[in-house]
Amino acid sequence: MPSVLDDYQSMSVEEAIGMCRDLVEDPDFPTVQRWRDAGGKVVGHFQVYFPEEIVHAAGMLPLKVRGAPVEARQGESHFGSYLCSILKTSLELALSGRVVLDMFVSHPICDSARNLAAVFGRNFEYPCEILYLPQNANSAHASTYLRGEYARLTREVEAVAGRSITPELLRNSMGVFNENRRLLRELYEIKRETPWLLSVDKAYCLMAVGGMIPREEHNQLLAWAIPQIRKGSGTPQDRMRLVFTGGFCEQPPLDLLHTIAQFSYVVDDDLLVGLRWILDDIPVGDDPLADLAEAYLENSSYSPVQHDLRKPKEQMLLEQIKDAKAGAAIITAAKMCEPGLDEVVAYTKALDDEGIPYFVSEFEERMTNFDSLQIQLETFIENLLFA
Amino acid sequence: MTYAAGVDVGSTQTKAVIIDEDLQIVGRALVSTGSNVTVAAETAYEMALQQGNIHEEEEGVGFIVGTGYGRYKVTFGDAQTTEISCHGRGAVHMFPGTRTVVDMGGQDTKAIKVSPTGEILDFFMNDKCAAGTGRFLGAAAMALDLPLDQLGPTALLSSRPVKITTTCTVFADGEILSLIGKGKKVEDVLLGVHHSVVSRSIGLLSRVGIEREVTFTGGVACNVGMVSVLNQELGFEVNVSDDSHYMGAVGAALFAMDRIVAGRSPARRTEVRV
Amino acid sequence: MSSTSQLIQDAPVDKRGTSIVGRGNKEGNRLFREWYGELTSAPERKEHSAYVFVMGSLAEILRSFDIHTIFPEINGLQQAVRHVADDYIGQAEDYGFSADVCGYVKADVGLQLRGGDHPMGKIPPPSLAVYTNACNTYVKWAEIWERMYHVPTFTMDIPGSRAAGRLTWPGHVDFENDRKYVAGQINELIKLCEQVTGRRFDIDKLRETMAHTNTMSRKWKRLIELNKSTPAVYNAVTDGTVFLGMMNGYRGRPEGAKYFTDLVEEMEYKAANGIGTPFEEKYRLAFVGVPCYPIFRRFSEMFTEWGGSFVGSSYLWFASGGANLGYEYDLEHPLESLAEGLLVTVRDSMDSMFYSDKNLIEMIEPYGIDGIVYHPIKSCRTVSTGLADNRRAVMEATDVATLFVESDHMDKRVVSEAQLKNRVDAFFEGLATRRQRLTSTGAPTGRA
Repeated sequence: MPSVLDDYQSMSVEEAIGMCRDLVEDPDFPTVQRWRDAGGKVVGHFQVYFPEEIVHAAGMLPLKVRGAPVEARQGESHFGSYLCSILKTSLELALSGRVVLDMFVSHPICDSARNLAAVFGRNFEYPCEILYLPQNANSAHASTYLRGEYARLTREVEAVAGRSITPELLRNSMGVFNENRRLLRELYEIKRETPWLLSVDKAYCLMAVGGMIPREEHNQLLAWAIPQIRKGSGTPQDRMRLVFTGGFCEQPPLDLLHTIAQFSYVVDDDLLVGLRWILDDIPVGDDPLADLAEAYLENSSYSPVQHDLRKPKEQMLLEQIKDAKAGAAIITAAKMCEPGLDEVVAYTKALDDEGIPYFVSEFEERMTNFDSLQIQLETFIENLLFA
Repeated sequence: MTYAAGVDVGSTQTKAVIIDEDLQIVGRALVSTGSNVTVAAETAYEMALQQGNIHEEEEGVGFIVGTGYGRYKVTFGDAQTTEISCHGRGAVHMFPGTRTVVDMGGQDTKAIKVSPTGEILDFFMNDKCAAGTGRFLGAAAMALDLPLDQLGPTALLSSRPVKITTTCTVFADGEILSLIGKGKKVEDVLLGVHHSVVSRSIGLLSRVGIEREVTFTGGVACNVGMVSVLNQELGFEVNVSDDSHYMGAVGAALFAMDRIVAGRSPARRTEVRV
Repeated sequence: MSSTSQLIQDAPVDKRGTSIVGRGNKEGNRLFREWYGELTSAPERKEHSAYVFVMGSLAEILRSFDIHTIFPEINGLQQAVRHVADDYIGQAEDYGFSADVCGYVKADVGLQLRGGDHPMGKIPPPSLAVYTNACNTYVKWAEIWERMYHVPTFTMDIPGSRAAGRLTWPGHVDFENDRKYVAGQINELIKLCEQVTGRRFDIDKLRETMAHTNTMSRKWKRLIELNKSTPAVYNAVTDGTVFLGMMNGYRGRPEGAKYFTDLVEEMEYKAANGIGTPFEEKYRLAFVGVPCYPIFRRFSEMFTEWGGSFVGSSYLWFASGGANLGYEYDLEHPLESLAEGLLVTVRDSMDSMFYSDKNLIEMIEPYGIDGIVYHPIKSCRTVSTGLADNRRAVMEATDVATLFVESDHMDKRVVSEAQLKNRVDAFFEGLATRRQRLTSTGAPTGRA
């Protein structure tokens, strides 16, 4: 398949990041269009985590469906009130024809999103279905169950792709994604250790673009960009180190991240954590589906929408703050995001107990005015720096 | 000649309309609702009677239908019908090709799908939030210290609307003033406000499905700016009557005439004191 | 005296002299109060209580250990209909919960902060919490109790339907994969109950509770069918709430089995004799969603005033944990059958929320439905998110009249009586015009 990205190798790394930014903010998803034009098929998968390797092994493009900053004229009329924006804009992308899929898959992360497959299914002819990742991560039977569920998904994907996914193909894809996650870990390491070299919004662009291009190309882009970023000329400034949480599903606007980056270092976050869900390389053996399933349960990050008694959310956040040597946290939730809003209570109580300062806010993917938020956040940080 | 009357008690204004057996409007009146809804209804009704030179003793209004949020306070009325039904009926009467009605009043916006006979097939109302209603325009008028009837003409002086990002009417004036402070022209900001209201209305209309012809009713339909932007966004012209303000009362009067024709008018009218 | 009144007067009476007609509501209310009395006094008797939910309460297992089942959803409902929910919710919001999250959860947080003081009695704290994933908020809710009480919480993960109309059944590789998972979890739950109670699992006791549930499910299915009668024999929303309280609170109990046996007897009698609800039935309606509890009586009156009768409700499907299927366990193989039964019924509960358009379309003709009332609520996104789209699909496929009214089941702040009434009135005006048009053209109007 031909490349979907423009020739970035002739650009400076700043320009390439700008290219990524344009792609991430472009609601017409031109890279997906190019893939389609070359005869490729697309499987849209919703937040948070999806075993993209399976779709990749079938030769199709896994597209992370994560809303968009668009007016959901048609999308809105399919939903009532009191709902998060990402549902409506995701549906809008499909209804408006900006994004044409061959299959849509979601996992019941929350009560709103679990309705999405049904809504898509009523409005489109292609298969729209639910992948049931285990909600009882602590059952001894969860791993076996998930392997079976991945086998089912594989059959569905094969039917759409019109080809068979052999263990060999799957192992190969797992290799590609292992490499991808390794590169993303490097990116995040740069952001954490030397945040003056890579701000949160720039890191975001480089990461998020992966959800809409072939992973091999993403690997090439990251492998090309990372050494140059390391050699960058930024100097450390006396800024507050923060951890940002709340970006696991609906995404804050890039401008908001950019605004925050003007006066702080966001050294870790949960933005698009689904793309970075598996924490280490998945060892690939004889039964790759079993390896994939095992990794989901045993070797994964955390979010408000995965319940696992071994990973109490507030403990995980505190560890993340400690590991990132952050001094404070920005606790956010998308408007109307029930799990996010619920988690705010547990997070804030735990941070209070530990005496770690935090700033709480809501955001919406389509917001364009951050004046009020900026003032409050700056005040918060000023207070911390003077304290 | 027997007449029928419709009295539409809105939150800010009360309208009354009298029609004759040929379904022509012979009298209309509009008063501020104020705090005593029943008095407002009586006053509007009396004024409409006077305007049409109809004297109860000689000819007689055979049936009165009350509508609007205060419809149960039209104590001299004979029946109540929701304004949804009334706007739908009134719009189809004025423009027989109507299949979709957008009614924008003081505090809510309605999208109504109608059949050729004025039967309500579906409806959606935006009364949770004032964005997308006349209130948003009202807030802009206050922020810019402009009378309501100048909003439309002023907006139409612009060809470059400024995007209004606030979705909340309460914060609208803050954003408007901030934009003016940054040097944006009043007409550009105002056009942006109009676009914002129209955009939300179209969202509401999409819920019932936009089918031509679309008729625009309610007080806000008198705003030429709103009509222009709505036409632009829809890509075709909407019907607007000079009596768009009275559409609810017209519909109510038509329902009243139905009852007269069906032979169910009450024997005696209660005397209405002026 | 009218013939209906005569029929009611002449209705058979039971051993206690209670007339069969109206017995279900009377008994239901009495048993409901008794149940809350048992729960209030449970700590005195050193009995354990589990916090559970209506979509998969696992009552059969819990009751086999004599663990009480406490339903925070039902506690919340009671707080709302008794007009005290606002205080509890306010307390939870002061504690940090957003205005935009589920009202049931907040009413419960307020309840816990008050040490269980509830209008129906005193709700004991949990010894454990057991919940399925039929609602994601159940999981977040249990996380709250984990932190408050440090008690074990058990997620009984029931994989649901993967797409509309694509159910798998025993023997299919995917069903068996799901079933094995559920069966494994059942064993894990049993071990947990043994730990918590210090008692050995008693499989014969489990058989007993399952037998009672079998009776209740069989009767529940029949109960729903009986409302095909004209006039409908009960109001699927108001009476339905009483029935749901019993179905959940007494699941797996002999009193529950008796109650539903008696209830079906009553309804069969009413159906056979044309005895309906106390209100005139002019329009037969289906209700989709969770009722508006803050103004429960008034909400119902808005419909009955126009002769609107709720003959069916999706609430009776999902909030009964899929009992509408009438699935009966095989008592010879209780554990295997429990796994299969849970999978089938809880899956159905979920389908009744996400994929109910087909079911609603299918009920129009046999139930003589004139209109479908969709009631999405702010608090419950599980049920509500898909309703606008669901309604579009139903309107495209049929010409049944529909109404879409939004409010809440707990939070009075987003319940506007005037706005609801306006929409309901417009809906009935439309129904009246439609019926007039249909009768004048000689077209059939269904049952008049």
